[in-house]
Amino acid sequence: MKKLSMHEALNQALREEMHRDERVVLLGEEIGKYNGVHYVTRGLYAEFGKERVIDTPISEESFTGVGVGLAIMGMRPVVEMMRMDFSLRAMDQIYNHMAKIRYMSGGRLSVPMVLRGPEGPGPNPGLTAQHGQQLTVLFAHCPGLRVVSPSNQYDAKGMLKAAIRSDDPVVFLEPGPLNNKQGDVGEDDYLVPLDRGEVKHEGSDVSLIGYGASVALCLQAARDLEHDGVSAEVVDMRCLRPLDMGPALASVAKTNRAVVVEYAWQSYGPGAEIVARLMAEAFWNLDAPVTRVSGQEVPLPYAANLEELSKPQVADIVAQAKATLR
Amino acid sequence: MSVQPQPPISGAAGLTPRQLTHRLRQMLAIREFERLGEQCFRDGLIRGYYHSYAGQEAVGVGFLNALDLSRDYVVDHYRDHGHCLLLGLDPEQIFAELFGRATGVSKGKGGSMHMYSPERHFLGGDGIVGGGLSVACGVGLALKRRANDPICVCFFGDGALDTGTFHESMNLASLWSVPTLYVCINNLYSMGTRVEDHSSLSQLVDRAQGYGVKTEQVDGQDVFATTAAAERIYQYMRQTKRPYFVEALTYRYQGHGIHDKALNYRTEQEEAQWHSRDPIQLLAAHLITEKILSAQQIEDLRQQIVAELQAKVERAKQAPQPDDAELKQDVLA
Repeated sequence: MKKLSMHEALNQALREEMHRDERVVLLGEEIGKYNGVHYVTRGLYAEFGKERVIDTPISEESFTGVGVGLAIMGMRPVVEMMRMDFSLRAMDQIYNHMAKIRYMSGGRLSVPMVLRGPEGPGPNPGLTAQHGQQLTVLFAHCPGLRVVSPSNQYDAKGMLKAAIRSDDPVVFLEPGPLNNKQGDVGEDDYLVPLDRGEVKHEGSDVSLIGYGASVALCLQAARDLEHDGVSAEVVDMRCLRPLDMGPALASVAKTNRAVVVEYAWQSYGPGAEIVARLMAEAFWNLDAPVTRVSGQEVPLPYAANLEELSKPQVADIVAQAKATLR
Repeated sequence: MSVQPQPPISGAAGLTPRQLTHRLRQMLAIREFERLGEQCFRDGLIRGYYHSYAGQEAVGVGFLNALDLSRDYVVDHYRDHGHCLLLGLDPEQIFAELFGRATGVSKGKGGSMHMYSPERHFLGGDGIVGGGLSVACGVGLALKRRANDPICVCFFGDGALDTGTFHESMNLASLWSVPTLYVCINNLYSMGTRVEDHSSLSQLVDRAQGYGVKTEQVDGQDVFATTAAAERIYQYMRQTKRPYFVEALTYRYQGHGIHDKALNYRTEQEEAQWHSRDPIQLLAAHLITEKILSAQQIEDLRQQIVAELQAKVERAKQAPQPDDAELKQDVLA
């Protein structure tokens, strides 16, 4: 194990996969000569050259379509959105092509591509309303895509490598707030599965269920709760489509209580889906209503105090967890 | 449109009598396929949308026959039946797809606009106007890495020029020097909106300029013109690895789709004018003048094609629907 930042872990995954498989090519804005706005592609242009690290103009719809074209021809493109907010420009290619070609062709073509980039309010503060959105649900809603979001550096490397090797189109959502944060990363060639959630911290009184950047909030809340004598279990959903409910259901069977935590807007979001599945599949194990802590339903504001207020708060997670125990 | 009928010339585009007869056969097959298809639609065998290629046959015949399918690839739009036939897909499988049957080109899951044949290097029809343009740029980028100078051909209608992705794709294709030919099939109407009402420039070829890509207009009614253009352009592309843009001037005989009777936006006079330059009649006249085939032989050929296609329709009708279990297959690998 080695301490690496999230972007270093992702960079390692890309480098290893590019060495392993010549079909892996990268496309995106400022990923090459500029060296990557969020450092994920740092050094790769120098190492692999412009044929494999392809700088694109600001044409999200069309370079995403180029990725689809490369993928159906047997390449393994990894397309970067500088911010996932910009993928809104590419939604026709994502929804109507990337996600649908396998099904529309009766399985005769596949689209083995990865669309990746940071989402949510971070790493730097003050991203504001068009650069720091958490749009997870837009992708997770769409059949034909795999949608994953790692919550730590170790998973980030193993999941990105698995995403590149997958024969499916994978939307790989990097938690922006964690981009520069450090953690343990394996130095070997390991994969983390794209269809399994994981318990990140064991506990017995209440389950804190998150994905992506919100898992870090859950872990902090679990530490705070421990001081107050409450044993919280933290479940990282990790794989949002297909959604793996296994670890969450097992956790709730043990704790009988759950709080779902996300940076996303609450209404109609992934958290709403997780709660609905808990109601359907864990109703008789629940001793209290499942509650939620989410981002405030406003565009991400600029002012420091307002931005902070708009995010899910650890104190609220602690309060909600305690409320389920009353 | 003021394209005058060109006098058919002997040995046109360097085609032998045998090749000319083959091309006539291909055009007749498309025309009769669409006629039968529309009948099947009216009979309730076909659901959803049906976009007929009738009238535009010389475009596909010119540009697809000149391809080398051992190395080249095609990305198409929604008006794709004719191109499927020209690429050698079995008409029975195309009909089966239109009927939503398990034996269809896409196992009955795609329908009219979503035919695919990786074996025949056909990477799909596409239901979104302009949706294939960037995909074709990616296909060209993949082909550029291959040793034997392959190319990609992408078909789309005049309406696609109004999408942002057309301009993005032209820029990318030129910037990266991608061997993709963009064939704009200008049939004068973006659905029901005439070129003058949807395009800032009436010569669409002018709108493709500004990207450093070679462009030209071709008479899409004249199979000799499309054949000669295709062969010349493909040679240029294989040598230079550059993209190319062609505007093929043609006319669709039916409305945009089968529900559209084109009643309120086209005049009978205009339709008659285009029918007087029917691509099949132009080629047939040449074959008769050159004594390659007689009018009777051509009619016999047509009837033979109709009989063959009808037999395929009947067989496709007998094919089973997809198994219920297919519903959830092919979503993910």
